[in-house]
Amino acid sequence: MRYFPLVWAGVWRKPARTVFTLLSIVVAFVLFGILQGVDASVAQTLATSRLDRLFVDPRFGDTLPIADLRQIETVPGVTLVAGRSGLFGYWRNPKNRVFVIMSDERFFAARPELNITGDQLATLRRTPDGIVVGDAIAGRYGWKPGDRIPVTTTETNRDGGAIWTFDVVAIIRDVGNPGQTGYVIGNYDYFDRGRTENQGTVTRFLVRIRDPAQAARISSRIDQLFANSDAPTRTQPEKVSAQSDLNSTFNIGAFTRSVVGAAFFSLLFVTANTMAQSVRERTPELAVLKSIGYSDDGLLALVLSESVLICLAGAMLGLGLARAIMPLAEPQFGPGFAQMPPLVVVDGLGAAVIVALASGLLPAWRARRLVIVDALAGK
Amino acid sequence: MLGQIAAVTLMNLRSLPQRLGASSVVVIGMASVVAVVVAVLSVSTGFLETVSRSGSPERAIVLSSGANFTGDSNLTRENVATILGAPGIRRGADGKPLASADYYNAVPLTKKGDGLTGWVTVQGAGPEIFALTPEIRLVTGRPFKPGLHELIVGSLLQSQYPGLEIGDKVPLPSGDWTVVGVFESNGDSHESALLGDAETLMSAYRSNMFNDVTVRLDSAAAFDRFKAALTTNPTLQVDVMRENRYAAKQAKPLDDFLTMVACWVGGIMAIGAVFGALNTMYAAVGARSREIATLRAIGFGAGSVVVSVLAEALLLALLGAGAGAGLAWLFFNGEVTVSDGTVYALAVTPALLALGVGCGLAMGLIGGLFPAIRAARLPVAAALRAT
Repeated sequence: MRYFPLVWAGVWRKPARTVFTLLSIVVAFVLFGILQGVDASVAQTLATSRLDRLFVDPRFGDTLPIADLRQIETVPGVTLVAGRSGLFGYWRNPKNRVFVIMSDERFFAARPELNITGDQLATLRRTPDGIVVGDAIAGRYGWKPGDRIPVTTTETNRDGGAIWTFDVVAIIRDVGNPGQTGYVIGNYDYFDRGRTENQGTVTRFLVRIRDPAQAARISSRIDQLFANSDAPTRTQPEKVSAQSDLNSTFNIGAFTRSVVGAAFFSLLFVTANTMAQSVRERTPELAVLKSIGYSDDGLLALVLSESVLICLAGAMLGLGLARAIMPLAEPQFGPGFAQMPPLVVVDGLGAAVIVALASGLLPAWRARRLVIVDALAGK
Repeated sequence: MLGQIAAVTLMNLRSLPQRLGASSVVVIGMASVVAVVVAVLSVSTGFLETVSRSGSPERAIVLSSGANFTGDSNLTRENVATILGAPGIRRGADGKPLASADYYNAVPLTKKGDGLTGWVTVQGAGPEIFALTPEIRLVTGRPFKPGLHELIVGSLLQSQYPGLEIGDKVPLPSGDWTVVGVFESNGDSHESALLGDAETLMSAYRSNMFNDVTVRLDSAAAFDRFKAALTTNPTLQVDVMRENRYAAKQAKPLDDFLTMVACWVGGIMAIGAVFGALNTMYAAVGARSREIATLRAIGFGAGSVVVSVLAEALLLALLGAGAGAGLAWLFFNGEVTVSDGTVYALAVTPALLALGVGCGLAMGLIGGLFPAIRAARLPVAAALRAT
């Protein structure tokens, strides 16, 4: 701390240069924050998708008979099967998309990461038209327990209309589900009784298995069960399904890594150049410091501290700015993409230090090796 | 005046090698921005080229009204018969209308590269399909036979998915279908599909609704007549579009998305690169302040000093942008990928290269302008005295 004023003075020796360098760093970290945030959301989807959970989807068409559930349960190694259907629609305005998953308590058993309490589950079962809502979507639309939510859909109900009204019975903490509209879960029985088409069908079965190592064997066993039925199935572990979905348009991970790589590569040159210029200009001053007793290593540390200070300040500003900008992307990507897990901040600050050291090392080394007499003589 | 400008600019550029380190900041900054922007846009350009190539203004596509794409659209046999009777459709040698009522579905197949699942389009077409779309040419094997479980496979699709060689089986609802031929289609989006007979495919899927009708028009101008006949027919509720317009519409969402990504990411990176350039150019002006003051003192105008600094910035930006665009071309042009079920090659077109270089020059201009003005305003006496 004693040397801080000295570092500070060094940093602000040429304010314009420092400001431009700082801004370059800020920009690079805005990009880093946004792209790593997106990347982290994707990684989180993959991390929460489990290997001991299989998805049984229709191989052709859109639906499977709910009666398949009993047969899937008989496959050795299967511990639990949940069927689910879905209702697409919007609330008030077509922009407020809502996807209501229609299932029963087995869905929550298949997805233990949805932190629902026993009481909440009991209330949902007692309330036929009840829904449980994830906090992300509840927060966005301002829904509270007790609210009646009309959802406009394309699915005709018994009344001949296509508006389904639900009763919010509980708000649960949402797990990362980027790109989706957020969890809204209702009762399958109520939905199936109320709809006029596709009764007795589901769009997917979620299957929990005892041993993830058996996933491939159990998947093909399930598919064999229905291979010659009217509705053949396609079973795959959740993780494979999630990866296929994420990569269906383009490879987000590879894209973010290349862009961040390109940005940091050019940033390295910006900061290295700034530090080199600064040290070159200050050669006589550094020599004076040495002659009044500063050690070689002290000067090395001094120059490195300057570059670390600039880079860390830029990184913090940039990550903060990224955090502020990210919500703007929500309409494009849906909730969940606009997040910045603490890990991204840690990674960012780590990257800042690495850039600082890499770009400051050469100039700092030069400062360390200054020969006082030559430097003072201006050689 | 021009002579002055040329003299100062040349003198300035000759001293560039002395500022190699600092100048590389501009070059590398511009190169990374331009490379990223061109690379992202090469995806949408490639996709757009492939998809829009499959549309011809001489063909029209009929969908049930309100449908955004074939999968949304349903046409009954009566609808199809009515559509085929409309005026404006070209007829073949046998007098039959050159048209195909199509049925589409998708099968999940495992990709070659990453082993992930991709949804592959299966198109069921009418018997006139080869006369209707002459660009579809069989390269090996034979055409599918109506009534048999046979498919032909697009060569682009074949390159991305294993198990689509002639003789291989593709599982469909009614059992396995055999691949009997491979077709090319000028690399358009047809080539990402499996093609079979519509009626046979529909019975396999137990559907009796077609998804669309594609017709060959008498001429491009016959479109209005054809469209008017269908839209005024009270027994039909259909939308009629030229096939090329339909194709462009299908490509729009991905194109819009990638353009937005390129603008945002490229825009943010460009801001960073401009700061880097400003820094370098201010430093360059600072280092040359005595030289500039001397020039001013012996009578060179402010204008020539401004131009010389700008020329340096633009030259560096041009070098960077050229390198960035070149790298993007080297690494991405022709790279084959799959998006939303369409197999296509990324395309770094000359227009895209020009766009990249243009962006680079714009960044160079901004990065050079302010330092150039500073250079022109240097107080001559003070700058001469400075050590």
